[in-house]
Amino acid sequence: MIYLDNAATSFPKPEAVYRELDRFARTSLANPGRAGHRMAMAAEKTLDDVRHALNQFFRGDAPERWAFTLNCTDALNMAIKGVLNDGDHVVLTDLEHNSISRPIRALEKAGRITATRVVSRDGYVAAEDVAAAITPKTRLVAMTHASNVLGTVQPIEAIARAVRASGALLLIDAAQSAGVVPIDLKATPIDFLALPGHKGLYGPTGTGALYAGPRADDVIRAWREGGTGGDSSSELQPSLRPYFLEAGSPNVLGVAGLGRGIAWVAERGPDALRKHEVELLQQVVDWADRSEGWRVAGLWDPERHAGALSLFTPEGISPQELAGILDVSFDIAVRPGLHCAPYIHRNLGSFPDGLLRLSPSPFTTADDVAQCLEALTAITAGVM
Amino acid sequence: MAAPASTTAPDPLDRYSRQVRFPALGEDGQRALMNSRVTLCGCGALGTVLANHLARAGVGHLRIIDRDFIETHNLQRQILFDERDVADNLPKAEAAARKLRLINSTIEVEPVVTDLDHTNALDLMGDADLILDGTDNFETRYLINDAAVKLNKPWIFGGVIGSEGQTMTILPGETPCLRCVIETAPPPGMTPTCETAGVLGPAVAVIASFEAVEAIKLLAGKKEALNRDLIMVDLWDWTFRQLKVSGLFGRVDCPCCKHRKFDWLEGEAGSHTTALCGRNAVQVASRRPEPLKFPEMADRLKALGDVRHNAFMLRFATEGYEFTVFPDGRAIIKGTNDIAKAKTLYAQFVGA
Ligand SMILES: Cc1ncc(COP(=O)(O)O)c(C=O)c1O
Ligand SMILES: [Zn+2]
Repeated sequence: MIYLDNAATSFPKPEAVYRELDRFARTSLANPGRAGHRMAMAAEKTLDDVRHALNQFFRGDAPERWAFTLNCTDALNMAIKGVLNDGDHVVLTDLEHNSISRPIRALEKAGRITATRVVSRDGYVAAEDVAAAITPKTRLVAMTHASNVLGTVQPIEAIARAVRASGALLLIDAAQSAGVVPIDLKATPIDFLALPGHKGLYGPTGTGALYAGPRADDVIRAWREGGTGGDSSSELQPSLRPYFLEAGSPNVLGVAGLGRGIAWVAERGPDALRKHEVELLQQVVDWADRSEGWRVAGLWDPERHAGALSLFTPEGISPQELAGILDVSFDIAVRPGLHCAPYIHRNLGSFPDGLLRLSPSPFTTADDVAQCLEALTAITAGVM
Repeated sequence: MAAPASTTAPDPLDRYSRQVRFPALGEDGQRALMNSRVTLCGCGALGTVLANHLARAGVGHLRIIDRDFIETHNLQRQILFDERDVADNLPKAEAAARKLRLINSTIEVEPVVTDLDHTNALDLMGDADLILDGTDNFETRYLINDAAVKLNKPWIFGGVIGSEGQTMTILPGETPCLRCVIETAPPPGMTPTCETAGVLGPAVAVIASFEAVEAIKLLAGKKEALNRDLIMVDLWDWTFRQLKVSGLFGRVDCPCCKHRKFDWLEGEAGSHTTALCGRNAVQVASRRPEPLKFPEMADRLKALGDVRHNAFMLRFATEGYEFTVFPDGRAIIKGTNDIAKAKTLYAQFVGA
């Protein structure tokens, strides 16, 4: 099988991740807890080690600022529902995944908050447009770092400076960028960084993290409350980080795998991994340029691009049909449709059929991509 | 509104007097019927005839499972429904229950508007004395077969296309099961369905009546009178065949009744559906070992709508729906977001 759906979740994972999952499950799969038996402490140490790894990799303020989550959606909800109060204003963009737009839209519809959706052009949001949308009531700017539909990387450094100057909090959805585009929390004033463990950091599904910076300390509420493995006597959720945000038995097994994934990425460096993916996408862009009826969605700028790309498909065949044929007749996995990001498809004019998205990984070869493009050529040659 | 109360309570057996006088059934048989529970899977052509017979005969509890709503083209053969039900847009199970309660208010009728699948089959059949097949597809029949064998409950298979029908009574542990006789379902698209080949109302009524008589024997405790053959009739050509399948019992290496591998019940086999992101469309996937033969399929479908195909897909448009079928049996059905509706359309036009 040729797997070109890495924007949904990466596959395969590095060998070291598989080995660690097996080892950990067999030897160390206890429920972590700071006081307890040796296996519980070993599990706790794994969480701790991976927190350190995340903090180092993204140059955060401190390891305990990282809370493990179920996925990126969970991390985004934790931040959004943790800081917004009645009467607040939120700025987001039309590039957002439903994991940002739905929680915000729900609060908006309930009459609790107001929101402004900044419009992107050619797949890019301008920092000035974000700055202009901020009002004195703006509590939070929530936006994606890289579009999961177009792969376009947003100018978050400039945006972060503008948001910081306004006093609002900034939540960055790094679902498509973590592990692919360097993020330096020391250099860029980001208050919340939400990320999945299972995409560009090569952990298993069921992993994710939320970084909550110092400016959120006094304002964030725990979205989930319950057992934390320590301080059981307190009536309320203990404020000690990171446990404050981490109620419930964590996915230690997944986190153990994620640790190996982060190490694997750190060893190679996001720049090298991104370069490989962008080169593969360049192949797609060149093919689309010379193929009748095919068109790349958004602006193609290899310097500002992550590992996903979507295509407008020729008349007479839908993205769903193409994906079905690629799967059934060619054993190639891609993703058609709206990719959980309906607003950008409305902007592009590809609503409701959507587009055909290809997302390679470091394990994808030029030959894999060539085979996919040949298949697309063959399929569209025979369109009825 | 209420009928005037009579002074003496009538004997509950009175209304069944003509049937009780039939010596082979008798009073004991009738009482057994009145204490019995039946789960009827499907309430279309076969199902309405079955339900009609059994409700009139006094089966104490009748559970009727069907996910579909009544449409005008059902009225040609689905005897419990009328034009008013179509106008009221009633689910079949519900409309049938209303009518059956008018026919016999002394029995319990339980309509269940749902898709019978591997998650609910055991629950819906677990308390039944007998399970009846009123379905239109092999996928559900294999599911019923799995559940019946697992629960060790009798069931009666019946199927009709055109003027031809088949029926067989299955007593787990005593007779061959459906998979002993027909090991795997023909792939979708390879068999005619009532939509593609048509169906005659009387042919359905004949097969359903065969099933109903067997049901009455079984529920009345008259097992010795049961038919243990596979019956095949064609009412147009006037042929009647009785296949002696009972000899297969215990001699077939049957995955279901011998190895107790319940592929359909465990959700290993059969179809699954997903509503597609974006479009008003549902994807139905059906696991198939053999690729579909598009030319033959196109031949069957061409009278019903616009069909085109190439090596990769077959497109078919009918009644406001657009099908894209892939060689592995998967299909995208455009024009609905309703998963149950998509499954019905798949069973009708692609087949299962
Ligand atoms: C931009 C973006 N945000 C959020 C998510 C949600 O991530 P997860 O599946 O980890 O919840 C995705 C996943 O597709 C995404 O692409
Ligand atoms: Zn068998």
